[in-house]
Amino acid sequence: MSRRAVMIRLTALIMLLAFISAPNLFAPVFEPLTTNNAPAIYNQGNLLFLTMAHLGTVFSAALASTLVAVLLGVLVTRPSGVEFLPLSRSLVSIGQTFPPVAVLAIAVPLVGFGEKPTLIALFLYGLLPIFENTLTGLTQVSPLTLDAAKGMGMGPTRRLYEVELPLALPVILAGIRLSVVINLGTATIGSTVAAKGLGEVIIAGLQSNNTAFILQGGLVVALLAVLIHDGLMMFERLLVRRLGLGPAAA
Amino acid sequence: MASPHWTLSPDRLGSMVAVLIGIALYAAPFVTYRANRIAAGAARSIFEALPPTTAFVLVGAALSVAIVAIFVRRSIVRLAAASLGLVVIAPCVGLSAGFVTPAGNTFARVSPALGFWLLGLAFSLLVADALTRLRLGPWARLGALSIAAAAMALLLFSGAWDGLSILKEYATRADSFWSEARRHVLLAIGSLAAAVAVGLPLGVLCHRAPRLRAAILQVLNVIQTIPSIALFGILMVPLGYLAAFPLAAALGIHGIGAAPAFVALFLYSLLPVVANTVVGLDHVPATVVDAARGMGLSNRQRLFDVELPLALPVILAGIRIVLVQNLGLATVAALIGGGGFGTFVFQGIGQTAIDLVLLGAIPTVALSFAAAVILDAAIELSNGTSQ
Amino acid sequence: MIEIERLTKRYGDTTVVDDVSFGVEEGTITVVVGTSGAGKSTLLRMINRLVEPTSGRVLIDGQDTRSIPEDDLRHRIGYVIQGYGLFPHRTVAQNIATVPRLLGWDRKRIADRIEELLDLYQLDPAEFATKFPHELSGGQQQRVGVARALAARPELLLMDEPFGALDPVIRAKAQDDLLAIQRRLRATIVLVTHDMEEAFHLGDRIAVMDQARLIQYGPPAELLTRPAEAFVERLVGTADRPFRLLSLAKVEDALEPGLAEGEPVAASGTLYEALSRLMWCGRQDLPVADGTGSVIGRVSITGILAYGRSA
Repeated sequence: MSRRAVMIRLTALIMLLAFISAPNLFAPVFEPLTTNNAPAIYNQGNLLFLTMAHLGTVFSAALASTLVAVLLGVLVTRPSGVEFLPLSRSLVSIGQTFPPVAVLAIAVPLVGFGEKPTLIALFLYGLLPIFENTLTGLTQVSPLTLDAAKGMGMGPTRRLYEVELPLALPVILAGIRLSVVINLGTATIGSTVAAKGLGEVIIAGLQSNNTAFILQGGLVVALLAVLIHDGLMMFERLLVRRLGLGPAAA
Repeated sequence: MASPHWTLSPDRLGSMVAVLIGIALYAAPFVTYRANRIAAGAARSIFEALPPTTAFVLVGAALSVAIVAIFVRRSIVRLAAASLGLVVIAPCVGLSAGFVTPAGNTFARVSPALGFWLLGLAFSLLVADALTRLRLGPWARLGALSIAAAAMALLLFSGAWDGLSILKEYATRADSFWSEARRHVLLAIGSLAAAVAVGLPLGVLCHRAPRLRAAILQVLNVIQTIPSIALFGILMVPLGYLAAFPLAAALGIHGIGAAPAFVALFLYSLLPVVANTVVGLDHVPATVVDAARGMGLSNRQRLFDVELPLALPVILAGIRIVLVQNLGLATVAALIGGGGFGTFVFQGIGQTAIDLVLLGAIPTVALSFAAAVILDAAIELSNGTSQ
Repeated sequence: MIEIERLTKRYGDTTVVDDVSFGVEEGTITVVVGTSGAGKSTLLRMINRLVEPTSGRVLIDGQDTRSIPEDDLRHRIGYVIQGYGLFPHRTVAQNIATVPRLLGWDRKRIADRIEELLDLYQLDPAEFATKFPHELSGGQQQRVGVARALAARPELLLMDEPFGALDPVIRAKAQDDLLAIQRRLRATIVLVTHDMEEAFHLGDRIAVMDQARLIQYGPPAELLTRPAEAFVERLVGTADRPFRLLSLAKVEDALEPGLAEGEPVAASGTLYEALSRLMWCGRQDLPVADGTGSVIGRVSITGILAYGRSA
């Protein structure tokens, strides 16, 4: 990333932090958007708290998805699980045609309103990109490298931990990033089923016809998503460089 | 190496499917009966939900599929068995609606329960696995899709399912269902068409002017990252201002409704279209371009006769991503008054009416799925002609 | 001593390796040569049990390899493949350290060994130890691949087309390097190739395979003078047979008593080189010098030609 790009993101981060911790400072900016003396700044909850709740939901779901998806990906690429490989590939591509909203909506009647359906939807939908990338990463490890590892007397477990997983890591991480970014959006919609999160601000704006709320919520969510996406991307590049995989492998 | 057509050593995937079938038959209710639309449900097992002979036929059919799943490895046999299973359970669940509902009761609701869904899942897994292993060509896949669509249409229009709760929801909203469906498809495909019209030239430009490429792709990347509802919200502000001008208002531009949704979907669609156009053009072999130049093709001729046709499969892959993504995202448009199937989903959430949620969600999933199958086939076909 | 006894591998109805037996002396290079699909690689991979034989066995110093746990066996046998299979996420030093680390060598011993091997292969440890495979040239990757296989001082080195990915100029150099290092370490090597030139250049003994069977096994000269089948004859080529033979024979094999004018040729050189010198300088004979430089006799065109006919 160029120096200028880093500066822009740093500025955006500072603005975001300032806004969620002291939103009232920004009231004059949003005032022109309001009508009938409606409040210019979201006043039905603490923005900082909502942001933390939002991130908490997203990351705990992502953590669970990562654990399960990587485990499943490893299982179906072992010789004993290979019967399930073709089906898993099809299921992933079918699963990704499900819109996240549909997953969320179907979870509600099953577990009720609140955090639960959101967590379930985020977990399920988050599985797909991570699982898909784990499969891609593990199956694209060069057979030559694996043959050499086997020929030098590395057992299956060692091969997995020392060769396959490190080589698949950049692709797996890209899957996790994709999953987190999609989840940030889905979690926003989660507010329609009463999950705590930044979607509340937008929904409140839509309900009270307050454009200022809608814009605030939209901007905070958008900035958060863009910054987290870029942050994860930077982390991946760093890791790839440390692993010595070179720019081509990213 | 020839694998045996049947074997006594059980197949693991088949065994899993058989276990699902077992649970569905013995431990899960087949349908749920509710006294009215939002009342709590009561479970009904297969034998409570169907006349005895039909119930026996159903159980027999399901067990046969389980046996085939465990012992037969030949994909075509598995496919036939699982399809037969689906053909048996689908009308059965419709039949049970009439059997469970007391005569003349118009408030009672019957909906498929866990057992039905598990059977459906088990059979579909088997179908999906068999189809994957058969490695059907693009035309055969399109054929399979049409057969599935025809079977669905037959079930829906024959009235076999009319007693089911979800179709009762449909019956009370038949008019708005089709107008929302039109809205949904128009939003998704219209924004796609606009994105292709703008994105293709933009992609060609990026390909020819590498200096622009990084900047344009970066901006589009950032847009793609912004969650849908946030982007809808942000777009409402400028469009709201535009709507203050009479001309814009006359053109149908409003701060709320379909306009911000359309613009947002359009913006989301740009990245896959532009990026894939660039990648597709990049991958046209340099020797081919060189040969075209050597034969005296002009810049324009080279683009339309050589480069774009060769890049077509990759561009189509971008369009596939966009279409599937748009069909899903269009659901969210309902939140800002943009209409589409999302209307039923969010109404359903608001009323805790699962059938209404499903009325919106199932067509969305079906549309995305069909779009994915059709475009995958198109990509494969274009690959065959361009190489 | 490696003994291969009646090794056979079948996949379903196809036999890939059919009843192959031969012995490999310690400190020698045996080259297995044949057309592609002849079963050479499968034979090699049965030695370190990457492929389990259908029947037959391999003995290393009298010990049946089936009695050794697979991974332990592979720790004792170096393995180099075409394309080398270097770990792309590990540095040169980490790659070389793979088997010593699996064997639990201590840090100091591993570091010393890495430095020793890099020196041996003329790769400056300070520069190369921390490089990643994608930063190396093809020739350098090949050398690291061999160094990695030699790291734990294996009793046997298996090489499957180790020079296949190199261009001709670098390949010749890599072959010479391998010979020099093999002579120095007295390593036992089984090498698979489809290149007859390479087989003649490197092999103390050559095993010719065709359609899963071992057709002939012997020293290179024997393949030329007594080809077992028409296939071997075709493979070695009849047109330049005498020249190949001369390149296998030493000047001392055609040494004649007496004196001659001119710059002496070395007794350890090949007759091929001597003949080439004689033709180039237009003489009938030249003096022959031993390692210390003292003249021990002469070599003549007629003598060389007579040797070529007699073989």
